[in-house]
Amino acid sequence: MFTLTIWGSRGSMPTPGPDTVLFGGNTACLEIRAGKKLVIIDAGSGIRGLGDKLVREDLKHGPIEADIFITHTHWDHIMGFPMFTPIYIPGTKLRLHGPITYEEDSLEKVIGSQLSYRYWPVRQDELAAKIEYEQIKETTMELGEGLTVKTKYLNHPVLCLGYRFEYEGKSIVTAYDTEPFRNVFPSDPADPSYDEAYAIEGDKAALEENEKLFQFYRGADLMVHDSQYTAKEYHSGKMGFGHSSYEFAINAAHRASVKQVLLFHHDPNRSDAELQELELFYQGKTEGRTGVRLEMAREGRTWQVQGDSA
Amino acid sequence: MAGSDNKKAVRDYISRMPSLPVTVSKVLEVCNNPKTSPIDLDKVIQLDPVLMGRVLKLINSAYYGLGTQVTSLARAIIMLGINTVKNLALSTAVIDRFVDKGAFHALNMDGFWRHSLCVGVTAKHLAKRRGVEPTLIEEYFAAGLLHDIGKIPLNNALASEYVRTMALADHERIPLFLAEKRVLDLDHSEAGFVVAESWKFSGAIADAIAFHHTHESYHGDHGDVVRTVAIANYFANREGIGFSGNRYPDKPGPEVYGLLDMEKSMLEEIEDQVQADIEKAKVFLKLGA
Repeated sequence: MFTLTIWGSRGSMPTPGPDTVLFGGNTACLEIRAGKKLVIIDAGSGIRGLGDKLVREDLKHGPIEADIFITHTHWDHIMGFPMFTPIYIPGTKLRLHGPITYEEDSLEKVIGSQLSYRYWPVRQDELAAKIEYEQIKETTMELGEGLTVKTKYLNHPVLCLGYRFEYEGKSIVTAYDTEPFRNVFPSDPADPSYDEAYAIEGDKAALEENEKLFQFYRGADLMVHDSQYTAKEYHSGKMGFGHSSYEFAINAAHRASVKQVLLFHHDPNRSDAELQELELFYQGKTEGRTGVRLEMAREGRTWQVQGDSA
Repeated sequence: MAGSDNKKAVRDYISRMPSLPVTVSKVLEVCNNPKTSPIDLDKVIQLDPVLMGRVLKLINSAYYGLGTQVTSLARAIIMLGINTVKNLALSTAVIDRFVDKGAFHALNMDGFWRHSLCVGVTAKHLAKRRGVEPTLIEEYFAAGLLHDIGKIPLNNALASEYVRTMALADHERIPLFLAEKRVLDLDHSEAGFVVAESWKFSGAIADAIAFHHTHESYHGDHGDVVRTVAIANYFANREGIGFSGNRYPDKPGPEVYGLLDMEKSMLEEIEDQVQADIEKAKVFLKLGA
């Protein structure tokens, strides 16, 4: 069994209400099951629901044990951690992995300091669970039971990792929050600040970094990709925010021969009706032109990558 | 203190090494402006050896283990993103507040900055003139800008010993690195190498830092950069552009020019360009003459 369940697909801020029932209003949290292994990606507000399910269904089979991979430490990706019920249950073992910023503060301090009196009634020291923190960079790790994870830096205003999980010949890739690498230096010789060396180096660097991304995505069975904006929105003032357009996500998936892409990190202002309309639009636009199956990520839904139905 | 104690003092100092006072206000101005262009950001970082070192450290420690090393600031900005680089620069600039400004230091940081910049700019123009590939030029600049980085911890972490060191060099009319070895049992190339290790530098930049005074015994892969920096260093000292404490610099022999396949007169040919680049930097930083 190799499955992915989405517990939160919204970007930036939880958006509860009647307009976000279908695709969900919780921020990023994914659950991956690979045989007996439990992996959680991100601790956005969606992790609350996952924690409650684990207590309800898994705890009776023994203590909860999981690897949590944080993509980056922006708040919408860590805000749910204090409400993840297993951290209050003795016997729970969590290994929490993630990148840190240029600052010297540890991952434990960045994430764990949410559990301090100024923000929350319980202190980190009072938690019953055993939590190990590990700061990671670009690497490959064996997680046991035949599950491996490879990491890749993405393009976001803070260090942010993409994850590629491989199990029994199948793969699930997460590529959020990110936008395409681009040459940020002037490339028009008429520009007064044009510098030939920078123009050349900038083009080369952007090209090579995007190529590395496509290699990271290559042949994935299922990819969860940032797509907060339409291309029009992206080019109208959202460039540099660290999020991709639907067009980039779909083109990247096509180029890397990805089998299925889930369009993820929905803009908080996007209603269910708008997301449905966009989903139909992009499905129609790409029909017959690519082998990639695409759909909007929906909170509460499970995707089967390998094995019998969950 | 023995050399090993001095090395420890250097190592302890590195994590709190601030931006240079001469660039700090511009760093704050550029990085606090939400509309800062990548070119301005690049410019201000290029003018501060400490900041340049810390940005390259971040990119290399974040992205690469062994093997490939990023030495291009343009690439670092593209890979890390403008905001990360801006925030890193701000955090480096802010450390300045915690530095003990009361202590007397042997080396004036304004002079040190002008010297470092001059060596970087000279190394860059020599490389250009010699037809080095455009994408490698920046490495020459970085190696030149950073070649004396070891003097910052010596000057600040071992302030009183460094005053004695400079007095000895002046009194005996010897190159500063020889005086450092005698007084501190640790010269600025060795101290610089400790900084380079901490900043995860390898390759041309680390070698230029470690061997710019001992280039004649250098047999590594980056002889071209190391020798260019050695010549640029001599040029900056000879012309008195900035001051890095070395009143009696060691003079590269004719074989060094021969190995680079360049005539000595090339230095005269690029002099105007070097001066113009330093002037531009001064205007950018709003410095007086």
